[in-house]
Amino acid sequence: MSDAGATALGRRHGGAIAVAIWLLALAIAFVIALRTRYVADLSAFLPSAPTPEQAILLEQLKSGSASRLILVGIEGGDAATRNAASQRLGTRLRAMPHFASVDNGDTAPWQQAGRFVLAHRYALSPAVDAARFQVEGLRAAIDETLSLLGTPAGALIKPILLRDPTGETVRIAEALTPAQAPKVEDGVWVSRSAPRAVLVLTTRADGADLDGQQQALNAVRNAFGEQAQRPGANVAAEAALRLELSGAGSFGVAARERIKSEVERLAVWGGAIVVVLLWLAFASLRALAVALLPVATGVLAGIAAVSLGFGQVHGMTLGFGTTLIGEAVDYAIYYLIQARASAGAATPGSDTSHAGRWLRESWPTVRLGLVTSLIGFAALVFAGFPGLAQLGVFSIAGLLAAATTTRFVFPLIAPDGAPGAGLRQQLGRLMRRAAAALPRLRWGVVALAAAATVVLLVLPSPWRGQLSDLSPIDAVDLERDAALRADVGAPDAGTLVALSAADEAGALAAAEAVGARLDTLVKEGVLQGYASPARFLPSPATQRARLAALPDAATLSARLAEATEGGPLPATRLGAFVDEVQAARKDPPFDRRALEGTPLATAVDALLLRGDASRPWRALLNLQAAPGRTVEAERVRAAIAGIPGAQLVSIKPELDALYARYLRQAEWQAALGAAAVVALLALTLRNARRLVGVLLPIAAATVVVLAGLAASGAALGILHLVGLLLTVAIGSNYALFFDHLRRAPEVDEDTLASLLLANLTTVISFALLASSPIPVLRAVGAAVAPGALLCLVFSASFLGRPEPVGGRGKIAA
Amino acid sequence: MRQLTPDRRGVGRRLAALLAGLVAAAATSAAGFDLTQLTTQLARVKSGEATFTEKRRVEMLDRTLESSGRLVFRAPDTFIRETLKPRREKLEVTGNVLTMSLGERSRTLQLDSAPEAAVIVEAVRGTLTGNRESLERLFDANVSGSAERWSLDLVPRDLRLRGQVASVRVSGRDATVREVQVLLADGDRSTMTIEPLPGAAP
Repeated sequence: MSDAGATALGRRHGGAIAVAIWLLALAIAFVIALRTRYVADLSAFLPSAPTPEQAILLEQLKSGSASRLILVGIEGGDAATRNAASQRLGTRLRAMPHFASVDNGDTAPWQQAGRFVLAHRYALSPAVDAARFQVEGLRAAIDETLSLLGTPAGALIKPILLRDPTGETVRIAEALTPAQAPKVEDGVWVSRSAPRAVLVLTTRADGADLDGQQQALNAVRNAFGEQAQRPGANVAAEAALRLELSGAGSFGVAARERIKSEVERLAVWGGAIVVVLLWLAFASLRALAVALLPVATGVLAGIAAVSLGFGQVHGMTLGFGTTLIGEAVDYAIYYLIQARASAGAATPGSDTSHAGRWLRESWPTVRLGLVTSLIGFAALVFAGFPGLAQLGVFSIAGLLAAATTTRFVFPLIAPDGAPGAGLRQQLGRLMRRAAAALPRLRWGVVALAAAATVVLLVLPSPWRGQLSDLSPIDAVDLERDAALRADVGAPDAGTLVALSAADEAGALAAAEAVGARLDTLVKEGVLQGYASPARFLPSPATQRARLAALPDAATLSARLAEATEGGPLPATRLGAFVDEVQAARKDPPFDRRALEGTPLATAVDALLLRGDASRPWRALLNLQAAPGRTVEAERVRAAIAGIPGAQLVSIKPELDALYARYLRQAEWQAALGAAAVVALLALTLRNARRLVGVLLPIAAATVVVLAGLAASGAALGILHLVGLLLTVAIGSNYALFFDHLRRAPEVDEDTLASLLLANLTTVISFALLASSPIPVLRAVGAAVAPGALLCLVFSASFLGRPEPVGGRGKIAA
Repeated sequence: MRQLTPDRRGVGRRLAALLAGLVAAAATSAAGFDLTQLTTQLARVKSGEATFTEKRRVEMLDRTLESSGRLVFRAPDTFIRETLKPRREKLEVTGNVLTMSLGERSRTLQLDSAPEAAVIVEAVRGTLTGNRESLERLFDANVSGSAERWSLDLVPRDLRLRGQVASVRVSGRDATVREVQVLLADGDRSTMTIEPLPGAAP
């Protein structure tokens, strides 16, 4: 056996090992993909949090009480029918296990809470102190209570007057009643701005638990549907009623549906288009099957890598993954066509085999293109959004796997490229004609790039994207949500003071300390009010202090006699009062557990977050700005200064700041990524002229795309930036190929066709993304699809050969 | 007393309503003075100040509760009731916002979120400002007497509210309100006697 034969055998042997490794890796990736958890929640659209404060904020947005709200509107029909329907729907939903609370203005469910408040009034009332139980305090308190008699409020007070003559229950109710309450009609909440009855539900399911949210939403829809069918229903009147649902949960569920159907759409179209293109290129089933191998390998590798790295795969990642189809198939196209193109001059099994020749001549260019693409996608990994990081990891793993499959497996399973010619010859001829014509337009391209630069300089900066631009929620849905929120006075993401403490008692005590400072701001008119968990559940220390202020029976009786002297309510009738005060003195303080089963528990849970070994207890105090004003952060900060663990969190500015920070970071990453691409090209080309030749078309394409986006009025953000970097990374592939062809003596039509096909698959897969209703995908697609196409056209203009190239040739060494 | 069957009771109620309607119509036509004329007459006065004394009879209490203070109204929608005795207390309504102050404490609520409070406020404010539209929206309104000496009987239209506030009777002379009587559903009643301050007639 000759040396050459042994080498060939060794290579063959190595190839078999490569195929074995490939099959094993495929099997492993397949198993991982099968066991992966696929999600489609909204958290991918929120940035990851660099600081603990922002972590609280994001945690609240993802699963805080606001994320568990469902806002319900009943519209259509006449007011009486709507209001009666709200009443019935409320009663029905309260009996369901899905909801922690159902509020529609109906006071019936509060009776239980009323009993609790009455029983614990001396621990709960902010008015209780020693002075209140002196003669003067008793007189003033009783007078105040009596002044409510003979008014509509009196009907509520009379039944408990003899037990609670100092009106503690009234004081507690006052403290718990928010200043912003919905309009009431027929005993239920209605909108002030539209003919609509409104309800506010709190689900038991966490906001991030989309299945639980979906069940709760379905429960509301079913209950609403059922009540119209109850016996005795006025079918005609109730048929006119419509149900509107909104809230974080409904957004999450709707977005999940949208992402799911979008992933399917992208996968089906992306797959179909690539198959059609491949058929055009080869018109051979075998070639088609082989060409799809790197694609399938890449997709599986991408899913497996994301699954291992993140513990789950987001639906959006899969949607974006369709662009991987478009890119990964390029490697197959290059190989299958170009390896075949070199047929004829080859001896099977030798260094001059078709595959060997391709590996020697074309692979370095493909590899360089691969590395520049990887640099582009690496920017996604570090963009600071979990969703984008997944896209980056998916693409990097997928491209590496696809290229590796092409490089190591194809030479063995398709040593001579692929059979079948399809319409390749026509495509190649078209491309040749274009390549010959385009260089004449070189100055046109330069002029276009110059015009684009002028446009960019003249227009105001389009970089005004916001975090909300990333959200896949419809503007119409957001409007409806805002309207329902305004109806019920549900606080939007606003300003809050967050506190942390080691235990429940500590968190409540801190909330009271902050509350005392905020009271001053309320008095000064800086704030209209605030919500505090300590109103519903005072700290044990405060409860003890209040109960300790209660006098013993003998003292109280004596003072009471003096205080009621000559008044309309003689002390002799207040025996129950004296007895209950006496009993209250012995009460131990109650904690959160005691509220279980009352509406107070839901109210407290929204503001008091249970801690555990890994995180502290937290209290949240929502601030309401004075009417027509915004919360003055500086005043609040100054007021709460010195209270340990207390910090002011303004949700909207905080999120905007977070986004701005990531945008700045992304700018740096994009600049670094672009610099890395240039450095890599410089290192490889080792020739300033060639480097400039490669970079010019890419730069021109980037500027033209950016100007186009700016002129279209789009607000550009992180994703457009990422898209531009991808344009540079992917676009450089075409420039490199033209650079490579320019130095080859002759260019055959097949190679030109492979370049056109590879570009088309990429452009089409990103164009699909650009048509997506999901903003994240749309932004990337809108930048890359035109960018990649322009890179090809401009590369042909700058690097193509103006003189006609005759006949079918070969790429020679 | 003989129990009426539901059906008969229904007929009885309808008859009573019909009779009441006839009587009211007769009274109105006899006097020739109706709600439109009354509210037009009242609406001419754009602002005013008065003192008041109020007596409340509450069934649970041994004696009548008395209070006194000052009333202010300004068109279109501001109404202030400031109690000076026995203790200072202030209730101020502007538009839909009701503010209650007592010493250092003050709380605000939206009138339309507390319909039972809105009934009382609108009965007085609507009459003082001559807001016929508002009165007719909330009440079955009945005017009796003459332009010089009239009474306006207001019964909440909403049955639920009628379970709290049975009726409000406002009476006055010419363009001034002189008395407001509130009858609550549980039988408690209050009577506010109003004395216009010289130079300003509410």
